[in-house]
Amino acid sequence: MKREELIKKWLDNELSVQERDAFEKLEDYDTLVKLSNSMHYFKASHFDTDKEYEALKENLKYSKQRSINWITPLLKIASILVVLFGIYYYTTTLNTELKTIAGQKSEIVLPDSSEVVLNALSSVTYNKKDWKHHRDIHLDGEAYFKVAKGATFNVHTDNGIITVLGTEFTVKNRKEVFEVICYEGSVRVKHKQDTIVLTPGDHYTLSKDISLNTSKKISQKSPSWLLHESSFESIPLYIVIADFERQYGMVVSAETIDTNQLFTGSFTHKNINIALKAITIPLNITYAKTNEVITFK
Amino acid sequence: MKKDIHKNICEEILFSNFYKKYAKDLYTFLYYKFGEQLNPKDKVQEAFIKVWENCKKITPDKAKSYVFTVGHNLMLNEVKHQKIVLKFQKDKPKSHTNESPEFLMEESEYLQRLQKAISRLTEAQRVAFLLNRIEGKKHKEIAQMLDISTKAVEKRIYGALHKLRKEIEELKSI
Repeated sequence: MKREELIKKWLDNELSVQERDAFEKLEDYDTLVKLSNSMHYFKASHFDTDKEYEALKENLKYSKQRSINWITPLLKIASILVVLFGIYYYTTTLNTELKTIAGQKSEIVLPDSSEVVLNALSSVTYNKKDWKHHRDIHLDGEAYFKVAKGATFNVHTDNGIITVLGTEFTVKNRKEVFEVICYEGSVRVKHKQDTIVLTPGDHYTLSKDISLNTSKKISQKSPSWLLHESSFESIPLYIVIADFERQYGMVVSAETIDTNQLFTGSFTHKNINIALKAITIPLNITYAKTNEVITFK
Repeated sequence: MKKDIHKNICEEILFSNFYKKYAKDLYTFLYYKFGEQLNPKDKVQEAFIKVWENCKKITPDKAKSYVFTVGHNLMLNEVKHQKIVLKFQKDKPKSHTNESPEFLMEESEYLQRLQKAISRLTEAQRVAFLLNRIEGKKHKEIAQMLDISTKAVEKRIYGALHKLRKEIEELKSI
């Protein structure tokens, strides 16, 4: 075997027994072994892996901690900002809501001194802060509006939008009937695709009863309920009963009589007995009254 | 090739295993390449800290070459500022011995010549030779560590040996 080959094998500790003998017979064997054995004097200083790792670990923790130290105050600031913004947002967009219970009427003066009178069992919501720019009010129930002059005034109901500039009108947005009556100025009613402009005395009525949707003029100057009275002109009895229930907070049972018959007349909101007589006598029916239920016969 | 379950080595246990596997190799590599006075130990630590900081970007199979490259580059940056003087720390020769003073004298001179000769090797030769002779690493292990072929390792080591002997002879005649 060649000398070089042997030395290379020796360097890689791969010598077989025979090769080792051959290697030991090389004339420079002693020089090679001496050189090799002397190399340990140049050994790299000891590297204690475990100890060094412990030292490194502290540094790792340190750099980790430092980054956390930056993040925590930022998070604190951010959370304060979020809370402040939340409060600001909540208070500015908070809507004012007003409700009436059965038999109650309530008068509200809006920020621009427009007036709203709520009839029994009704509610309005509007935004005080934004009132200057958007005179938008949501109505559920029945209300009389006396609108001050100014920007467009919108009344939103589930049945449509009523738009006015400055006028007096009522909106009746009940289960059984949707009605807008104009008393002064002009009122635009938007219902689905329809847009109707009402002038004083006009009314826009939507109900299951086609008989109600007449274009008859209304002579009153303001709704009768403002004077604590409900008045009707050829109106089906069930509508009258629904109004009565709201004004007195009672339940009326009228299963044995025809509630589609028309009623003309009025009833007061102040005295239940007088009111009941006012309804029953003209229709030639009788009534029985218990604590909460009134039965028409 | 076995598939890695872990996408990166951000978990401390993985990192610690990785450190224990390669820290010493990196240290000896840097030490034999650049010598003691450039603080190879510090560079090893720095390189591993870099791995930890960037652990999300480093897949386990890339981590070894990453830490070696970083360690090497850290050293090179230092070299730019400082012309290297190779000086290997010697083990203290045994304090009490039966050898004759003449022999000790000769021995010490021999080591000095050897030291000079080692510092005259090329970096590549020196690293491979010292890893082989001092750390007792097989050619294959060195090849894996340096990402070169076993043949190249063999060539470097043999070349180094050849050169060392030549240098020692020359120095002797001065």
